[in-house]
Amino acid sequence: MIDPSWIAGLGVILFGIGLLGTFYHKNAIVVLMCIELMLNAANLNFVAAAVHYGDVSGWVFTAIAIAIAAAEVAIGLAILLSMYSTQETIFLDERASILKN
Amino acid sequence: MAGSGNEYNLLLPLVPALLVVPVLLLLGMESHEAAFLVVLAPLLAFPVILIVGQAYNGNETWKYKLKEGGIIGLGSLLISLTVALWLMFDYLTEAAHFEHDSVATWFDWISFEVMQSDYTMTETRVLGVGVWIDSVTLMLLFVATFLCFLICWFSLGYMNTDQINENRNHRFYGEFVLFALGMFGMVLADNFLWLFVFWEIMGLCSYLLIGFYFWKESAAYAAKKAFLTTRVGDVFLMVGLLILYDIYGSLEFSVVFDDPSTGVGGAAVDSGQLFWALMMLFIGAIGKSAQFPLHVWLPDAMEGPTPVSALIHAATMVNAGLYLVARMVPFVDVSHHGVAGLEELGLIVAWVGGITAFMAASIAFVQNDIKKVLAYSTMSQLAYIFTGLGSALWFYSHGDHHAAAFVFGASMFHLFNHAMAKGMLFMASGSVIHELHHAYEHLHHGADRGHDDFDHQDMRNMGGLASKMPVTATAMMFGSMSIIGIPLIGGFWSKEGIIAETWKACLEAEPLMFGPALLVLLTAGMTGFYMSRMWLMTFAGKPKHEAAKHVHEATPWIKEPLVILTIISALGGFLLSVMGVVDYLSAEKDHLALHGVLETLEHAFLPSDTNLRLVGWTTILLSLVIGPIYAARVHGGRLTEGEKSNPMVAWLVSLSDSFGSQDVSEIADSSLSEALQNRLYFDDLYEWALAKTAIPFAAFAAWFDKNVVDGLVKQVESNSVLGSIQIRKVTTGRARDYILMTAVGALSIFALAWGVSG
Repeated sequence: MIDPSWIAGLGVILFGIGLLGTFYHKNAIVVLMCIELMLNAANLNFVAAAVHYGDVSGWVFTAIAIAIAAAEVAIGLAILLSMYSTQETIFLDERASILKN
Repeated sequence: MAGSGNEYNLLLPLVPALLVVPVLLLLGMESHEAAFLVVLAPLLAFPVILIVGQAYNGNETWKYKLKEGGIIGLGSLLISLTVALWLMFDYLTEAAHFEHDSVATWFDWISFEVMQSDYTMTETRVLGVGVWIDSVTLMLLFVATFLCFLICWFSLGYMNTDQINENRNHRFYGEFVLFALGMFGMVLADNFLWLFVFWEIMGLCSYLLIGFYFWKESAAYAAKKAFLTTRVGDVFLMVGLLILYDIYGSLEFSVVFDDPSTGVGGAAVDSGQLFWALMMLFIGAIGKSAQFPLHVWLPDAMEGPTPVSALIHAATMVNAGLYLVARMVPFVDVSHHGVAGLEELGLIVAWVGGITAFMAASIAFVQNDIKKVLAYSTMSQLAYIFTGLGSALWFYSHGDHHAAAFVFGASMFHLFNHAMAKGMLFMASGSVIHELHHAYEHLHHGADRGHDDFDHQDMRNMGGLASKMPVTATAMMFGSMSIIGIPLIGGFWSKEGIIAETWKACLEAEPLMFGPALLVLLTAGMTGFYMSRMWLMTFAGKPKHEAAKHVHEATPWIKEPLVILTIISALGGFLLSVMGVVDYLSAEKDHLALHGVLETLEHAFLPSDTNLRLVGWTTILLSLVIGPIYAARVHGGRLTEGEKSNPMVAWLVSLSDSFGSQDVSEIADSSLSEALQNRLYFDDLYEWALAKTAIPFAAFAAWFDKNVVDGLVKQVESNSVLGSIQIRKVTTGRARDYILMTAVGALSIFALAWGVSG
């Protein structure tokens, strides 16, 4: 049996990779993938905790998170499609942003 | 305009006001419990007149039935008058178990705790509301309520028939009753604090009423001048009250005057501190009563409508200062545990009075505006009363109680005589001005009057009015006689007393009293001149302007007050003297009673002291003979042939012609005359002094405000603008920057939480 702290450490590393990916990539699809990576890092931690404590609620949380993540990807990809059709790019930062100021 | 025949029907709504006192009597109320009604009635009328007047401006009923609020004001003043008369009746007959000085304290206004100087315990102090009634209060209350009522009556004729006032008379009547309640309240107040509050209400109303024609630049200027000049006095008055409070720990008359442990002269009162307190009060008084050197506002105050001049600047408000000085008596009365060593106070008061009396009388010599003559005459006569009060204060602190009481009573009596005569003189002058104005308008009906310079107040446009306005001429004759002090009439009985006692103080003990004594003696003759000059220029001789030939006494409401006050001015002085009013006012006697007519006459004409007899007869010589005859030589003259008047006026007019005539153009062109025309340059002096001190200071203050105060605020503002411009740069609009910030923030919070818990 692997020590849960290793699994939790893997989760942290995965989360860090995901976070840095959202900072450094301009391609919206890659950013979406990085967000998925962060979600799965959290899932991994849930699973590790569930194994460690012998508690089923961690599994349940993971199942719900995966389902919601699937829905989120569907919506995210839909947004990207409409973004491509209106702005003709899926690269972020190329147009003036409504978030500015 | 409503017909003049049935105008008096309008008074019918006033009948309920007459019923107030009987109803209260039936309810078993004591008069001093009802005294608050004197103030309350005008206090209720004030907002009603203003608000209803604003809402129904121009409405027919409001305009002709209620005289734009005049009837409401008259009703409230009638209630005040009847309650005041009831109070007087009770006090005079002592029906209501009055103590000698009756006090009714109704409720505590402000109550607060004071830490004692050793910080060990606190004591509760209370500022109450109540009335203080003694003979001086009642005399002034009668003067105020009676004259306010009559002048309000007069205003119904004077104000409501003048086109210029149309649809704004509710302002006049509203401010009028507010002023009236200020005077009533000040006289009735049982402590210095409320006295001050009502004092300030009067100051405000004075400003509002002088500036009634505020679109005229001169009126607006006069209003500001009056307000600011009296304000100088008021600041001193407030300081004086604070010192008094510091000395006695209270401002209630009952504590300050009567309390044996803390009151006057008790509990280690420092006479030096008290002297300064009383001096400050006195400066307040000279501001209000227009005495030297704060006299400059009163002549300008004549810019207001004539009833206002009659009411405020002759008959009532200017008496406030005298009342305040009269209230100083217990402080210095050494024979009733007063504080010793305050003789200088009386001297200063007497000197200020003497100087003002002489100065104002000399300026009145050259005035051609009928109201200005009366204004300076007011100053001069008030100064007489100040001189009298000064000698009274001096005698009280000198220990001569008898002489002090006599001159105090005489001063208060002169206040009464002067108020009655001067209120009437102003109304009579108003009548002249009003009718002359109407005659002129009638004469030039339809003509272009846009740029005429006819001054209907200038006596050089009058003359020969004795036959046209017999009632006014007679009234003014008796008023002038009362002011001059013609033997047996009105002011003679009181003025004689003031002059004689001031001389007595001078001759017996205090050589410094010589100045005021001589000045008031000379002023008696000067009064004889300028009052006669005014009367002769207005009523004798031939008409000097076309308009003066077409004058009629036609306006309703104007004659009645004149007639009533003529009777009082002519006979009141003698009757009240015979009743012993002088002793009564100075609390020497506690009731009015007839004592011998011969004794009174002997006391006035043949006093036992030779010096006083000399002074008395000199006064009579100056005021009866020299002054009027000189005026007659300069301004006297017969009426136009065929014009008639009533016998006494006609006799006086023809008498004025029999002294020959004298050309005074040389004197009139002299530099002294020019100085007098320019009011002895006091206004110029004050304006120069202000230009050298206050205006540079104001400029500095403006600079300080603009650059330092505003500068600080603006610096803060511009810095925060710059700061926010910098901070705006953080919001790049790139989502990943925001995510980075969120992540860094979250991590910092984690790290902090870790550090705190670890």
